[in-house]
Amino acid sequence: MDEKFDCIIVGGGIAGLSAAVELARGGARFLLVERGEFAGSKNVSGGVLWGHDLARLVPEYWTEEDGFERYIRHRRLTLMDEQSAFSIDFKSTHFDTPPYAGVVVLRSRFDRWLAAKLEETIARSPHPDESFVATNILVEEIVRENGRVTGIRAGDEVFHADVVILAEGVNNLLTRQIGLQDDYVPADHMMIGIKEVIRMNRRTLEDRFQLNGLAGMSNEFVGFCSRGVEGGGFLYTNRDSLSVGLVLGIKDLREKRLQPHAILNDFKLHPVIADMLRDGEEVEYSAHVVSSGDMRVMPREIYADGVLIAGEAANLLINAGKAIQGMDYAMRSGILAAETVLAARDRGDFSAESLAQYRRALEESFLLKDMHNFQDAVRLLHDPNMYTTIPSLICDFGRRIFTVRSAPTQKTKQVLKETIKDHTSFWSLAKFGYKASRSL
Amino acid sequence: MKKLSTAERLGLVAYRNQGRSEAKPHILVDTSICNSVCPHHCTTYVCPAECYKFDEDGRVFFQFEDCIECGTCMYACDQGAVTWSYPDPESGRGVTWNFG
Repeated sequence: MDEKFDCIIVGGGIAGLSAAVELARGGARFLLVERGEFAGSKNVSGGVLWGHDLARLVPEYWTEEDGFERYIRHRRLTLMDEQSAFSIDFKSTHFDTPPYAGVVVLRSRFDRWLAAKLEETIARSPHPDESFVATNILVEEIVRENGRVTGIRAGDEVFHADVVILAEGVNNLLTRQIGLQDDYVPADHMMIGIKEVIRMNRRTLEDRFQLNGLAGMSNEFVGFCSRGVEGGGFLYTNRDSLSVGLVLGIKDLREKRLQPHAILNDFKLHPVIADMLRDGEEVEYSAHVVSSGDMRVMPREIYADGVLIAGEAANLLINAGKAIQGMDYAMRSGILAAETVLAARDRGDFSAESLAQYRRALEESFLLKDMHNFQDAVRLLHDPNMYTTIPSLICDFGRRIFTVRSAPTQKTKQVLKETIKDHTSFWSLAKFGYKASRSL
Repeated sequence: MKKLSTAERLGLVAYRNQGRSEAKPHILVDTSICNSVCPHHCTTYVCPAECYKFDEDGRVFFQFEDCIECGTCMYACDQGAVTWSYPDPESGRGVTWNFG
């Protein structure tokens, strides 16, 4: 093809598809390339898509039968030891009004659905015959001329564009190829997400988790579930299945010589989890690397002459304790990348200076604001106290306070004091509490 | 629920054209590094598809066929033994998630 596109997007995940929808609306001519058989075929997440941006891309998405699995009405954060679970639990009809604040998704289905929405958007766009979504194509090389990105090469074919958006996901080989990230990214701030999808009779699932209609639950776990490895667990309700898994630090697994899949087996057998999974049937096993939200792992820059990096390819993700936000970061960064391309097209300038608008827009958005603001929380979550001592201490406190003995009862303060003494010292707990109160 | 073996788990994974004879591996592993200087052989336990194994003589070998393209080995290996590319869709397009 001789003709030049306004933009080429590499990757049919949430970042790439979101960028494409905005580009189609803005009247740009683009090519989106996906290496999988269909958009979503290579994609894995936990996964809850938080925030409201989906309603911007697909207005009234909640009226559709397909797409998301359930919306989040019920949230639970659970601290675990070997026997126990101590939870903070919040359920509210406040979450029932669309646009929902969070929806559970299964990426193979969700991304495919979003790609179908993209096709509809292209069909309604000013250039319906000049934008394309091409699957089963592996981009092997980012084409550069005089230091600026001018296109892509797939096999023997070269395609040119004013701007290339790299939305290739966390294993960002092309971002590394153009020198925005080192060829080797160390394991220090990288995690492995590992999960199973467990099918369950829909009625059983709704009764067991007290769900009504399309309401759903998200439950995160910290403590015994990760067997001393930094990270934690999750359980999300789909329509007729559960997504259950762990996110574990790769460096910590290496140093502790543990198998992530063995830890997942143990997690499923924990009495609290086993009760939730009973009579379910495993239907898929999956894993994918995910970044931790530590900004030290981000590419040197997220734009250069003729190129923008969006989503997990730029390690845009945060987990500051309240939610793992990766997909909403992908969505917003894709949207902002597309807006940058449209503005650059109006200016006729695709230089790095012009594309620096993308960096500024991200800095002004919740993405980089939160990432900057919560770096200390990200690091706190990776403090061994957080996934070992604290959950054990709190579960032990729960066991003591909720056990009714036919004997004189201690005052709560005394129980707390004794529990703390058995697990740590007042001094180290106070230090940790101070850090926690400042960072979270 | 009971513990699942890795073989049982991988039986739940859909692959496209992975078994083709002309399929090229998308990960190149320099096992001479694994079997000389590497102090931990971490790929043999962090890989969730157990693509890295020890043979009878205790030497690390790699087989790509079960790979679910998660990327863990490219970060875990700090010895420079693991080089990634993505599978070429033409000759073994690899994992295709049903749920994802």
